[in-house]
Amino acid sequence: MEYLNNNELLDVARDLVLALETNDEKQAQIHLADLTQAQESDLFHEVGTLTRELHESLNNFNVDPKLINMAQHDMPDTRARLNFVIKTTEEAAHNTLELIDKTLPLSDSLKDTAQKIEDSWHRFRMREMGVEEFRTLSNEIESYMPNVKIHADQIHENLQEITLAQGFQDLTGQVIRQVISLVGEVENNLVELVKIAGKHKTENKDGNKADLIKAEGPQIDKTKANVVNNQDEVDDLLSSLGF
Amino acid sequence: MKILVVDDFSTMRRIIKNLLRDLGFTNTTEADDGLTAMPILQAGGIDFLVTDWNMPGMQGIDLLKAVRADENLSHLPVLMVTAETKREQIIEAAQAGVNGYIVKPFTAGTLKEKIDKIFERIDAG
Repeated sequence: MEYLNNNELLDVARDLVLALETNDEKQAQIHLADLTQAQESDLFHEVGTLTRELHESLNNFNVDPKLINMAQHDMPDTRARLNFVIKTTEEAAHNTLELIDKTLPLSDSLKDTAQKIEDSWHRFRMREMGVEEFRTLSNEIESYMPNVKIHADQIHENLQEITLAQGFQDLTGQVIRQVISLVGEVENNLVELVKIAGKHKTENKDGNKADLIKAEGPQIDKTKANVVNNQDEVDDLLSSLGF
Repeated sequence: MKILVVDDFSTMRRIIKNLLRDLGFTNTTEADDGLTAMPILQAGGIDFLVTDWNMPGMQGIDLLKAVRADENLSHLPVLMVTAETKREQIIEAAQAGVNGYIVKPFTAGTLKEKIDKIFERIDAG
């Protein structure tokens, strides 16, 4: 049954009223059926439209590889990345604290010995020291000097290692930036989804081609085949290239 | 000997500068990506470039290529210090003419070794 416009509906309605007034039951039934059918046809039309739109929306949802990739790959990857951040900052903090633990006794021992020598030296200046005691002091000073150098070198080395340990800020910063950018992408895609649901379909973006040399920051999964794990492997690869 | 250190993280620039100072290179200057590094390099007076790879603006690999393409800078020694560890990337850097490639996290010893090696090669001609 085709769709009836307003005037046609009005005509059918008038015919129905007329049939009822003239007690023409048969005609009344026919007109009533016409009206019901017209209404049903309208409903079917609307349901059809909705179904088609829903189908298209679902199709769009399915074919957007970016979303699927995000759910299947980026999200678990992000969890691994954030765990990497925890692990790296934890290691750096422990590393730094350990080096401080190693350094403090060195400076303490330097200070204690210096204090002892200073006291003795003061007594020597005040002529309160016998020959035997002075000999001991002299030995103490003699062994202290090289110790100062050894300790100072060790302290320097420890401080240098503490400096290097701060590299975690760069490594984790790169990873956190990636997570921020992913969160931004998820947000954009959710907006797209809302738009699709709101029947304002936007055209698909270009598929992103994997760029082999694109900067990726620290590799979280070190088992990947095309990733080197340490400086030695970098050196080996470069020397294989004639470096 | 004046060294330009390029990294977008100020902490890493500071670390590298401290280590270079320990190695006797006290004259260093900084830039936070390739775009800010290029004018400093073009102004002249830089003898050695240490650069990160992954930076906003202009990446280290593009900075390396720009340096090699600039006739005044093409012979500048370039040492990459980066967290990028894919084989394709290392090969790309080598082909673009990098003089040394250090992966983060690195040690003071590695930095010294690579710098020494670069200078040995330069001295050998």
